[in-house]
Order: sequence, then structure tokens, then C-alpha cells
Amino acid sequence: MNRRFSSLVVPALIVTVTLALGAYQGAVAAGGNISGAVMFKGDVPAPKKLKVTKDKKRCDKSPKFDESLVVKDGKLANVVVYIADVKGGKKLEKKGVTLDQNGCVYQPHVLAVDAGADVTILNPDKVLHNIHTYSKINKPMNRAQPKFKKKLKVKFDKPEIMEVRCDVHGWMGGWIFVAGNPYYSVTGEDGAFSLTDLPAGKYQVQIWHEKLGTQTKEVEVKDGETAKLDVEFAG
Amino acid sequence: MAVRGVDPDEEKKSYGTVFFVGSILLVVVGLWSVFDDNITRRVWKVHQAEFTRTDYERAAAALAKEQERLNADPKYAELVKQRAAEVASLESGEKGARLAELRELQQRVEVEYFDADQEVKFVKSELDEAWYEFDHAVQLGQDAGPYRRHIQGLQAQQRALEPALEAARKKRVDVKAEIREIQGGVRKIDDQIYALEGDKRKWQRQMDNATVTVGPEGFPQFTLYKVPSIQQVVLKDFDRNNFDQQVERVDRCQSCHIGINRSGFDDLPQPLTTHPKRTVFLSDAAHPPRVFGCTVCHEGQGEAVNSLAQAHGNVKFWEHPLLEGNDVQANCVTCHLNVAGLEGAQVVARGQQIFEQVGCTGCHLVEGYGDIPKVGPSLRRVQAKLDPAWMVQWIQNPREFRSRTRMPHFYFEEGDAVAAASYLWAASKKEAEEWLKQSPMPEGYRPDDAAVVEKGKELARSVGCLGCHGLSEGEFTTRIAGKDLVPNLKDIAAKVGPRWIYHWLRNPKAYNPDTRMPSLRLSDDEALALTAYLMTLGTKPEPNAEVVARLEEPANIARGETVVRKYGCAGCHDIPGMEKESRIGVELTTFGSKPLEELFFGNDTSIKHTWKDWTFNKIHNPRVYATERVEQLMPHFDLPEEDIKALRVLLHGFVERKVPEAFKADHSERARQILEGRRQIQEYNCVGCHVIDGEGGYVRKYYEENPTLAPPPLNGQGEKVQANWMFGFLQNPENPIRPWLKVRMPTFGFDGPHADVFVNYFAALSEVEIPYVHVDEAKVPAGYLEAGRTLFSDDYFECGSCHVRGDKKPDGPVEDWAPDLNLARQRLNPDWIEKWILDPQKLQPGTKMPSFYPGGPEDILGGDEKKQIEALTDYIMALGLQPATAAKAEGEAAEPGKEGVEEANKQG
Ligand SMILES: [Cu+2]
Repeated sequence: MNRRFSSLVVPALIVTVTLALGAYQGAVAAGGNISGAVMFKGDVPAPKKLKVTKDKKRCDKSPKFDESLVVKDGKLANVVVYIADVKGGKKLEKKGVTLDQNGCVYQPHVLAVDAGADVTILNPDKVLHNIHTYSKINKPMNRAQPKFKKKLKVKFDKPEIMEVRCDVHGWMGGWIFVAGNPYYSVTGEDGAFSLTDLPAGKYQVQIWHEKLGTQTKEVEVKDGETAKLDVEFAG
Repeated sequence: MAVRGVDPDEEKKSYGTVFFVGSILLVVVGLWSVFDDNITRRVWKVHQAEFTRTDYERAAAALAKEQERLNADPKYAELVKQRAAEVASLESGEKGARLAELRELQQRVEVEYFDADQEVKFVKSELDEAWYEFDHAVQLGQDAGPYRRHIQGLQAQQRALEPALEAARKKRVDVKAEIREIQGGVRKIDDQIYALEGDKRKWQRQMDNATVTVGPEGFPQFTLYKVPSIQQVVLKDFDRNNFDQQVERVDRCQSCHIGINRSGFDDLPQPLTTHPKRTVFLSDAAHPPRVFGCTVCHEGQGEAVNSLAQAHGNVKFWEHPLLEGNDVQANCVTCHLNVAGLEGAQVVARGQQIFEQVGCTGCHLVEGYGDIPKVGPSLRRVQAKLDPAWMVQWIQNPREFRSRTRMPHFYFEEGDAVAAASYLWAASKKEAEEWLKQSPMPEGYRPDDAAVVEKGKELARSVGCLGCHGLSEGEFTTRIAGKDLVPNLKDIAAKVGPRWIYHWLRNPKAYNPDTRMPSLRLSDDEALALTAYLMTLGTKPEPNAEVVARLEEPANIARGETVVRKYGCAGCHDIPGMEKESRIGVELTTFGSKPLEELFFGNDTSIKHTWKDWTFNKIHNPRVYATERVEQLMPHFDLPEEDIKALRVLLHGFVERKVPEAFKADHSERARQILEGRRQIQEYNCVGCHVIDGEGGYVRKYYEENPTLAPPPLNGQGEKVQANWMFGFLQNPENPIRPWLKVRMPTFGFDGPHADVFVNYFAALSEVEIPYVHVDEAKVPAGYLEAGRTLFSDDYFECGSCHVRGDKKPDGPVEDWAPDLNLARQRLNPDWIEKWILDPQKLQPGTKMPSFYPGGPEDILGGDEKKQIEALTDYIMALGLQPATAAKAEGEAAEPGKEGVEEANKQG
């Protein structure tokens, strides 16, 4: 009798808990946000023009500039703001993203992608590129993308920030941020970012820039409120 | 009357008490001897019994747990239930009834069959008899007719009987099959249960192995723990007796160490525990203990089982006491030719490396280490090279000038140092003067021109010097036991002058034909700039006539000759007049088995009297055993303690032991080639620049920014390149594969035999037969060259975007270029090219070469990627057919690579 009872109850319990957890993961009933902007203080060097040394016909259609430090009106672009460790909260959507090499330059310069999501790499240049990731956590990848291969799909499974370079075109460099949770944001020209629907709690927010390094800020998030976070990098 | 010699009183005496006491004693002694023999001297029985018990109990517990797990497994429970139901169905109901019927029928059928069979058998034997009679009659020439008729009658009888037999046989088979079919359900379930019970059976077997069942069958039986027994391994012909005859070795260690090769007993204390890293050391491919026993590696007195001290050989006069910890590695070298890279032999391998490279072999002979070249530089023309005052100071205390030099400290008093220098100065005078005559101070040497010095510095840091030399304090590439294997040049100006350096850089072999310093093929300007830069490193000495005068004093020269001879300088250096000197140290071939009595401890009482302590202290402080009466000459090497211990492990293994082939590890030609190659690689410090067999490439630390500008790693080189090409390249590397690299593969001036050693080494390492590649274009499938050309072309893979092809250079900066594919035909192994194209990252992680596959185009060779790779390879191998000059003439007009194809087609 007793045994039969437990054999029914245990699966029922498991189902209930799983459902509850799923619901908890899926949506944040009451959450808070973090938003703000990343500023740059200091002299901004004039953007360096990149020299196109080969495949000029295909690659030198428009002028290219070094994007390792993009500042406009004191606002810093290409900064990844993320939280490495979040318990609960939103689920990773694993939405596909695109990395375009049009004109032999990576667009966007810093690409953010969910771990496990498809990255579609485009090659409209009618020229050979190769996508060489300098990753330490994910398996390093060096895939050729010959001109007849206009689209290439790849995936990165583990959270990491890695450099990506083309060995055919020495000037081509960019970054890929592989996110382990949906709480991340890449700044544009306005330097703004926002992380939304975070479960209430204290977080270590990481602010990464390829040249200026990483800053860590502690932020407390309360239900229904937006915590303000402004970050400044000095040059 | 009294009988003579008989004492009547004596006859009446009673000996009862004596006999009683005697018999009591006898019983006691008897019992005691039984006790002693079975208990006191049989410690191993106690251990074994304990292990057997633990073994059994653990298996029983595991079995119970496994049974519990099975019971909880719904699949298993279901099967058990099904089986019970199936069995029940066979006992009652329709199936049961049919089965009972069949069983009854089976009995009947069996009888029927037996009877029919019997009848036929009888007829057959009668036939045999009839045939005999018939033959007999024929042989005797009698009338065989009646016999023949008899036979025919019997044959007819047999034929008549056979259908009945056949019918009975068939019935029997049918019944059996039907029974089997009815029982099939149970059998099927049993099979499934059997599959689930693998672990259960394992534990049961383990329990069975730990027990014995006694008692005659049919009576109540008892299950007891297995009775302990001696576990003995006999190694045939392993040892030699005093008459050098092969004798067997008996190894009984496993009588106590019974769990040594059983997994899961790591937590038990000695002697029952599992061997550490059991799967590495005791696997069947390594040293299975049932074949090797324990003493082969661990020493000790294998036969002894009476006490721990005896068994471990920690008793007087046993020459090979137990080896523990790292010391066990001493024995690796008895059977293994190559310990470098051998798992678990790291310490002895390090000891060997130190032994070979620090200079031990200069003074000590050891079998197998006799061919190692002298580690010190030649002093044949030293007068032309060194500053005299520097030389005296160096001899007196080398580490004062270079703290990491391999040159040891001899504790010379000043007089002896001056004397040694004077002898070397005088002995080298003639040849030095000859060399100087041919090597004038170069014109155009501008040491004060800052731009020249800067250019020299640039060169020193880029052309390849850093592959071996450090240029500032703490800078080094290859170091062993805290020693720089190549001098650090940070103070070089204090030692040598610009004239010598310049000529040394231009042509090292002119100064010393045997030097390992290669030529970097420097132009005159480059050599001058480099000289100017090197002369800024350190303080230039002032000419010192006083010192020169002292060095030229005949008394000093005479005294110096004695000093140089006595301290064996010629062991490490080439010294004029001392070419025939023999090694001054003791031969160490059997040093590991040197008995304690033969080790001289001097007057030092603080050192424990063991072989290990003696050896450690001797290397640590070589003069420690010297007394007023006994002089000691060994110099001080200043090795870190850890390295002294590693060296000691190697020395421990220097024992005379002729191990039978059956027990030896790989001693094949291949193993020998690897050993020889490794030594030559050490000698020329190839690992300073190149990663070889996963080690080295130390110079790469200067190329972290751009690793592709570093010298290439040579992992898998034997598989990659053609032996012919490598043989030629090593002798003359003037045409580099990667012309854009600033760092140059130097010209070492290897002769054929030296180059051969390398070629064989790489081939052996890659486990390939020396690949002499012959490409036959006629055998390339039709259309492949064309397909390869298309894939290679700018319409598809654009290989020419990075790869050089003879005079055809890619666009863009040179550091983005890739190797010349016109050389592939001469240089590369086509099988390797295919592997490389398939997955470059696998062969060379981090390479700039991207992988094109999977992902080949659909419209070439039907999209078959394997064929595409073959076609590309064929095309690349054909590329080199075109001589470089012709390619130039044809110029850019031709399609990329087309000339090769056309040439190939013509050939085919
Ligand atoms: Cu590119």
C-alpha cells in the first residue's frame, strides 16, 4: 500500500517541481533593471585608417578605421556589459545572429551571441576569408570561407569573450562575446546599455572593453526598480 | 656372578621421570616448532587471510547492493515477474498439459529410437564380420560366392531397417524442438535477465575466487576462505650467478602484496593496497606482475617471506635492498632504451639528461654513454680568443663570471689557476697564430656608430641568436639543472674581442671545425653590426702585460701541464697535446651496485653510511670525503638538490645486469634511432627553436605577439616531409621554406651521417618507414589535376592568396605569407598533405592555415570531398615539376599553377 502510494507521489512531485522551475526560469514575475552608459575620459586619438594591403579591388571600396577605441561625445562604444553569474531569471533564447564581412571588415566589431545559438557568417566579398577564433574555453576554430561559400553557420557552446581574426586579411579583427545568460548588452555609439528583468539581488556587473580591460561594479537590483549604473574608462 | 660391565644397581634404576620430562619437552618443542613454522614465520599468511576476508566481504556487500539495485530496477522486477508467470504457465494450463504430454512422448520416442538404432547396429556388426569372411575367402583363393550372398542379404536387411530408424530420429528431433519451443519464453526472459546481471555475476565470481568449498559431493559442504598460499613468479634466466650462468629469479612478493594488481583496494594499508597508477605500470602492455613479479623494478629479496626486513632486502649483505618512491625509476634504464617521455620515468629521464649534458661523461665512463661529445668548447686556439686575465679568473671561479655556467668550480688556488691558464695559453699559441694570420681585423668595423650598434642589436634579437644565447641577465632559452646550455652573452666583451667575434660569427667552423655553433649566413655588414653590438655587452678589458708575462713563464707552463692533466680538463675540452688523455674519473657502469664497504666516507661522521647518502653528498659537495691523506679531485657543479636526486636515481640504475630479451622493452632499430637522434638534438640545441616531440621551442616566448614569425614546430615531421628533402635541407638550409621569417635556420654544416641521424629520428618518431616519395603522374586519375587546379585557383580556394609559388608571391605583407608550394613536390609527403588539408588544426594547433573541409564546393568532382582533397594534393605535388626559372619566364601570363599541370600532362 505504502509503496504504491509513493510510486504515484514521487513522479507527481517531480512533474510539479519541474513545471514550477520552468515557469520560474521562463519569466520574471517581478524583476528589476540595470541601465546606464559607458563613458570615456581622456584624449581620444583620431581614428586610425586601416591599410588594405591585398585584395584591394574587393576590400578597399570604402575607407576602414581601427575600431578598437570608438568614442563619440565622450561615450564609449563596443563595450560589453554583462553579469557572469545570475541565479534564475530569464532563459537564454539562443537567437541566431549574423556576422557580416562585407568589404573585408567585421560588422559588428563586437558581436554578442547566446551560447549554443547559430552565428551566420556572411561573405559577400567574392574573396577568401577565414574565421580564426583565438578562444581559450571554446575549441579554437579556423574555418576557411571561400568566395563560393556566401554563408557559414557556426556555434559556440561556452561563455567566453574571444578575438576573431582573418589570417588572409591582416587588418580584419573583431570580437565575439558568447553569453551564458541573457543579461548582457553591447554599447553602441551612445554608450548606453540596459539589462532588464533581473531577479532582485546583488550582482557583480562586468564591463569589458577590448583595449581598456574589464571593470566590475556591484549593483543591487530591487523589484520594479531600475538601478542606474554609469561607468567611466580612462584613456 | 655379575656379568662383566653390567651394574646390577643400574638395572634397577627408574628413568620414568627423565622420560616423562623429556616427552613433555618434546611435545612443547613440537608444538612450538609447528607454531613458529606456521605463525611466527608466516606473516604473509596473516596478510593474505586478511586480504581474502576483505575481498570477500567487499564483494558480498557489493553483491547485496547490486541485488538491491536490481530489485529496485522496474525492468528487472518486470522480467522476474514475467519469468515466474511463464514458468507457472508451463506447469499448468494448456501449455503445461502439452509439455507433460511431450515429456512422456519424449521418453517413448527415445526408447523407440534406441531400439531402432540398436537393430541397425547389430546388422552393421554382422556386416563387418561378413566382409571379413569374404575378404578372407578371396585371399585364400576360395569360393567367395556364399559370403557375397550373405553380405547382400545383410545389406538388404539394413536397408529395410533404415526407414524406421530415420522415422524414429525425426520424431525424436521434432519432440525436442517442440519442447524447446514451449520453453522458449522462459529462455528469452532468462537471456534478458542475464544481460542485466553482469555486475552481479562479477561480484559472485569475486566471492567464489575468495573461497573454497570442501566436503564430498552429496554431503553437506562447507564454504571456507581460501587457504593462504605462496604466490610465486619465476623469471626464467633473469639473473646470473657468479659463474655468469643464467639462473632463474624467484619472486614471492605477491604472497603479501596480494592486492597489488586488483583495482579498488587503494584504501587498504600496505602490503594489501593496490599499486599506484596500476593501469599504467601493471597493464599487460607494461609490467604484468604475473610475468615480471615485483623485484624487477623494486629490488629486494624476492624469495624471502619470513620477515619484512628479509623480504625487502634490508639485511646485511643483500646488495639490492627495496627501492621506494622515485628510486624505483633507477631500474627503468635496465630494460628501457629510451626513458625520455616514458610515463612514470620522469625523474630518471631528467637525471639522464643532466648526466649527458652537464659534463659527467667527460670524466666518467659509463657503458652506453661513451659517445657523448665533449661538452666544453675547444681550447685548441684559445690564445686567439680570450683575454688572458679573464681566463685566469674564469679558471679560478667560473660562476663568478657566469652564475649559470656548466663549467664546474675546481677550488683552484691562484697559483694553480695561473699555471693551468699558462699551459693552455702556450699549448694553443701555434694554432692561434695561424688562425689570426688568416683572420685579420675586419675593415669597416664601426663600433662607435650608434646606428650600426642598433642594427646589430636588431639582428641579434631577430636573426636567431636568441634561439640559444641569452643577451641579458636572466635571459635564456634552454636550461637544465639550473645551467645555461649555451653561454649567456651579457658580458661577452669582457671575455673576447671584436676580431675574434667577427670571424667566429662569419665562420665558426674555421675557428673550431667541431663546434656546434652554426653559421647564420651573415653578410659582412651584418656580422660587423652584430660584432659592434656584442662589444657593448660588458666591460672591455685593458691589455695586461703583467698577466701575459706570468702566463709565459716556463715554470708556470710546466706546472700547468700537471694541473690540466690531473684535473682532466681534456675530458670536456679539446686541448692541444692532450688528445690521447683518458677519462680521469672512476668508471660508473656498475656504480649503482657498489657495496657500502667500497665507498670511502673519509673522516666525516655526520653522513649516514648508506649508498644514497654517500652519493648525494658526493655530488653536493664533491670534496666532502677528502682527508689529509686522500685527495679528491671532483669539481663542484652546484646543482639544485632536486637534480642531484634525479642524478642519483640514474646512478642507482647503473648496475651490471644482462636482462634477457624477453623482459626488455623496445630495443629495436627504431628505439636506437630515437635515442641517437635525441642526443644529437640536445647537442645542437634544436629544441631552442623548434618544438620537437612536444617539447622545446623555447624561443617562442619572444614571439607571443605573432607566433607565426617563430621557427616552425617540428611535431610529426617524419610523416610530413620527404626523407630526401630533409637530408639535403639539413646539410644546406640556404633556401628557406619561409623566406619572410627574419629568424634564419642556421647552417650547422651537418655531414651525411649527422643528417641521417636526424632523418631517421624523425621517421622513427612518426613511426613511418623513411618515406622516399615517388609521385607518378601517370597514376593520377583522369580529371584530377584539372579539378585540383580549379580548386586551387582564385575562383575557389584562392590558395595563392597566401601561399608562395616559386617566384609568384602573394599580395600583402610578407608576414601573412605561407610556405612555397612549388617546393611541395620535393619536400612534402602527399599523404601528409591530404591530412593537412583535411584538418590543419589537428596537426598544428593554432596554425593560420584554415580548414576548407568539410565545406568543399558541390560542382567539383561531384562534391566528393575525399576526391577533392586527393585532387588538390595531386595538383600541389605536380606544381613543383616546373623549374623555378621557367616559371619566371612564363611569368604572370599563365593561369596560377597551370604550368605545373601542363608539365604534368606532358609527363603523363
Ligand atoms: Cu578576410
